[in-house]
Amino acid sequence: QALPSRSGPSSILVSPRQKGNPILNGVRAVAWEYSDIPADYVLGATTCALFLSLKYHRLHPEYIYNRIRDLKGQYGLRILLTMVDIENHEAALRELSKTSLINNVTIMLCWSAQEAGRYLELFKTFEHAAPTSIRAQQSSSYSDKLVEFITVPRSINKTDALGLVSNFGSIRTAVNAGPEEVGLIAGWGEKKVQRWCSSARDPFRIKK
Amino acid sequence: MPSDENAPVKLSLPLEFQQDIFKELREEDELVLIARGLGLLRIVTNLLHSYDAAGNNLILLIGADDRENVWIGEALAEHAAVSQAPKARGLSLVNTDLMSVGTREKLYAQGGLFSITSRILIVDFLSGLMNPETVAGVVVLHAERVVATSLEAFILRIYRQKNKAGFLKAFSDAPEPFTMGYSPLSNMMKNLFLQKPSLYPRFHVSVAKSLEGRKKAEVIELEIPMTEPMRDIQNAVLECVEVSISELRKSNAGIEMEDWTVDSALHKNFDTMIRRQLDPVWHRTSFKTRQVVRDLTLLRTILHALLTYDAVDFNKYLDTVLAASQPPPGSTKQNQSPWLFLDAADTIFTTAKRRVYTGKLANADIQNNPKAVPDSLEPVLEEFPKWTQLAEILEEIEQDAYLNPILQDSSNGSILIMCGDQGTCRQLREFLQTMYVRPEGADEEDDDEKGPSAKFMMRRKLRNYLFWKRDFSKVSAGLFSENEKAINGSTEQRVQSGKSNRAPPNKRRRVRGGGAAGSGPPRSETGAIRTAGDRDAHIASLMRELQPTETEAMQKTEIGYDPLDNMEDYYELFDMNELIIIHPYEGDMDEHVLEETKPRYVIMYEPDAAFIRRIEVYRSSHTDRTVKVFFMYYGGSVEEQRYLSAVRREKDAFTRLIRERGNMAITLTSAALDPQESFLRTINTRIAGGGRLAATAQPPRVVVDVREFRSSLPSLLHGRSIVVVPCMLTVGDYVLTPQICIERKSVRDLIGSFANGRLFNQAEAMLEHYKYPMLLIEFDQNKSFTLEPFSDLYGPQTTAGLAAAPDLQAKIVMLTLAFPRLKIIWSSSPYQTAEIFEELKKQQEEPDPLKAVQIGLDPSMMGDEMRTFNQVSQDMLRAIPGMNEKAVVTLTLEVENIIELANMEEHELRTLVGTEVGRSIYRFFNRSVYEDVSLPTL
Repeated sequence: QALPSRSGPSSILVSPRQKGNPILNGVRAVAWEYSDIPADYVLGATTCALFLSLKYHRLHPEYIYNRIRDLKGQYGLRILLTMVDIENHEAALRELSKTSLINNVTIMLCWSAQEAGRYLELFKTFEHAAPTSIRAQQSSSYSDKLVEFITVPRSINKTDALGLVSNFGSIRTAVNAGPEEVGLIAGWGEKKVQRWCSSARDPFRIKK
Repeated sequence: MPSDENAPVKLSLPLEFQQDIFKELREEDELVLIARGLGLLRIVTNLLHSYDAAGNNLILLIGADDRENVWIGEALAEHAAVSQAPKARGLSLVNTDLMSVGTREKLYAQGGLFSITSRILIVDFLSGLMNPETVAGVVVLHAERVVATSLEAFILRIYRQKNKAGFLKAFSDAPEPFTMGYSPLSNMMKNLFLQKPSLYPRFHVSVAKSLEGRKKAEVIELEIPMTEPMRDIQNAVLECVEVSISELRKSNAGIEMEDWTVDSALHKNFDTMIRRQLDPVWHRTSFKTRQVVRDLTLLRTILHALLTYDAVDFNKYLDTVLAASQPPPGSTKQNQSPWLFLDAADTIFTTAKRRVYTGKLANADIQNNPKAVPDSLEPVLEEFPKWTQLAEILEEIEQDAYLNPILQDSSNGSILIMCGDQGTCRQLREFLQTMYVRPEGADEEDDDEKGPSAKFMMRRKLRNYLFWKRDFSKVSAGLFSENEKAINGSTEQRVQSGKSNRAPPNKRRRVRGGGAAGSGPPRSETGAIRTAGDRDAHIASLMRELQPTETEAMQKTEIGYDPLDNMEDYYELFDMNELIIIHPYEGDMDEHVLEETKPRYVIMYEPDAAFIRRIEVYRSSHTDRTVKVFFMYYGGSVEEQRYLSAVRREKDAFTRLIRERGNMAITLTSAALDPQESFLRTINTRIAGGGRLAATAQPPRVVVDVREFRSSLPSLLHGRSIVVVPCMLTVGDYVLTPQICIERKSVRDLIGSFANGRLFNQAEAMLEHYKYPMLLIEFDQNKSFTLEPFSDLYGPQTTAGLAAAPDLQAKIVMLTLAFPRLKIIWSSSPYQTAEIFEELKKQQEEPDPLKAVQIGLDPSMMGDEMRTFNQVSQDMLRAIPGMNEKAVVTLTLEVENIIELANMEEHELRTLVGTEVGRSIYRFFNRSVYEDVSLPTL
């Protein structure tokens, strides 16, 4: 392996405060190292994270505010990685939601150390990635698309989709098929037939 | 009540208990719970008519579905004509698609009877289009659906809050939901703002007296044995169910599972019940458990199909099931449904096939002379025993009618056959039409019986099936070959599993479990049963065998389905006396069928408790008509058990309700005053507590997108004394303050809108117009509050792998990285969300609805504020490959609907949305799935 550069951008910077935190065991795909930083984790040039366990928050509610204050408004994206490890989380999360608005932090919830570690990895991994895969339609195989298209109306499932295309040969014919024809396919009950046919025929725009 | 008591109202309630209920309802507000089939709608229409006839009332009917609206509308018109009430105006329907805001306002001002979709009514209430104080009364149908978070409960709350004088009547004919843990009777009464439940089970004294006092209907019960193969399949399916259940029990210790038995697995809602029990721990359940739960639903469908689909269709259905349950790409053997590995599953598939045709392929033969077609294949074409029985009954009726030709009563001589669904209707219609047609080649051996048989129909079905099968193997091979390949790692294997159900001898050693390969059930490399295709040779020989004989060719090839829509026009041409009418059970609609056809004979092809009561009611209402009922069911079948348990459960439900009502009396007196008061209390404490007075004197306000009224959040916000302002928003779902805008996503929506890129666009738009854009991730009330099940902690850990197939968490991370200003609210339930909203709004300015509406509106579209799009077809558009947001908008504006889009020519599409997108849309619709898969992927 190449020599790891001291504060290189390729690794997650971890504050020594976090020593012994089990979530570090979950960080395996990305390298990490200790560094003297105000945040708990630095995940990119403008991204940092604070870790908060709700169990701890219940005992020391002021802790997290001090930590946020210490950040002094640095970093563009400030993650509050919150571990939900208590049953009655409602009040705490309500309070944190408000905090996130006032103090400009983004809350990410996790439910296990492993998941928390993974979030850290993900933030680091996608630091420079373009958000293409959430931006537009994923390209996937024709059969997936076909099934996805047919199963949009409620209660129509994959088996039905398969039955439909195998009977009509192409989506065009399937779309054009009348309710009596679709109803002949095994598994297509009245409700499904009606839903499918009306979703094909309903106008895109609802008229005034 | 501004009703005119002297208005001449003629009722059509012949039975005593119906009159009792009517009188009770005229006197006071109550919830009427009545057993199915006792004519609920008839009571409702009479009641509505009595108000309608008085005139000048604004009366609302909520919770009615389409069919009920038609029923009630017709009945009201009829009543108005009969009692010649000059003021009666009949029912007006309001559902968005047809009416604009202006029209609605005008209509409401005129008054009359309205059936309004809940989502529209709530918006009209909140936006002031309809003033609740002007409403004279509300009638609620399907009261069992009015749970605390429902829109109907919201409507009633607003109504009762503003209007204490108007009447309120609720109806339900489903007692079971009122006894379930989540909504016991007293809670429901609270939601309905009613105090008195009125129960009318079948065993109610006055009901029993009305129905049994006079002449009873003559009922002949016929228990028909199932055929051997049918019983085998049923047992095998039940075995699979049992194994699936024990699998569930094993892997989910610590959950109440007394009810997890095969017996209860036959109920309609067993899978929902399991889901409800597992939901709180859904994140802790394994992949396998979830799969088993899905399988149970599937197995129940198969059980149902066994009794309703004929042998050929059933086999066809199983083929589809099998193809669709092929594992998704990238999965391993463990991911296949466990029941597919059972011997019983093999029994299901082979027996189903044996009901259609037999014959085995000797491998050696094929090996030696591949060209020769083995003629060992033979069609079997098992017929349903019920068919023969049906034919016999019809014959008997014919004789009966011949012997007693004079009708002494006002019923027609017609025969009404009732069955479960349209599919069965079609099947029976085809059977009755063809049962005396003989295929010439086939009747050498059955000279002895000249009786009716379904041979002709079945042969035709088999022919169609074989044609279909040919294409189907190609389709399933084509569509799912990639998966296969991924699993088996060899193309070769794929071809085989697609085309044959047994590996040829030279490949045999590749089959798992060596020695057993020859004798064991056909299994694919993955170990699951696979009978996807037959050798083409088999099919060819079968086809030859089935060549249409002359008689067959003379029959018209395909019997058209005749749509029931215009049944009345169609049938009035015939003499009602010699008609056989086949009709599916349709709840209350059946009453109309009986009234219209006035049958002398009714054959119930499948058991249905409600219909039996309908006949009782019909019989007792018309003393001058005789009805002879034949009642058929398969002995020892699931059908029989299901029927019996349905009857039992309804009875139990009523018994429990009666007991609960007895105990409820005390709690109710306090609760009776309560609903208003407790509601007001929540309002006061909240406002007084905050430092709101300093910020603003206005009541807290939230602008909500009208489409959000499908969810329960607006109702809960209102319950927390926040003023809900419904608007048509372009950006965001909720606007809390001039700066805070929130997009709400349930976990399901979240996955969906990540997949089609909509969320990215929505976030972009929010960021552009608001200072604090927020994404609300809302979990379900009773479901586990965690995202873990959606992650793939052991999945591909490499950067490349993640970028290619990111899981939900990865996508959320990408979103936050792309929009650092976007905040995320995590809420475990809508209740929690309402509290969070309240917290966020504290000491902030109130939003301006006008401004919120205008934000994000395309300047060219200004003023066109009622621009609404059909969500389902929009989603379908987005699912088309190559589609982008711009194209979606263009297409919604330029094209009428999906059909038109599908039929457009490529060049038309190109001019609309550009070459690239146009081509991929065109290809998507026009690509034939029968063709080979070698087409370039789009």
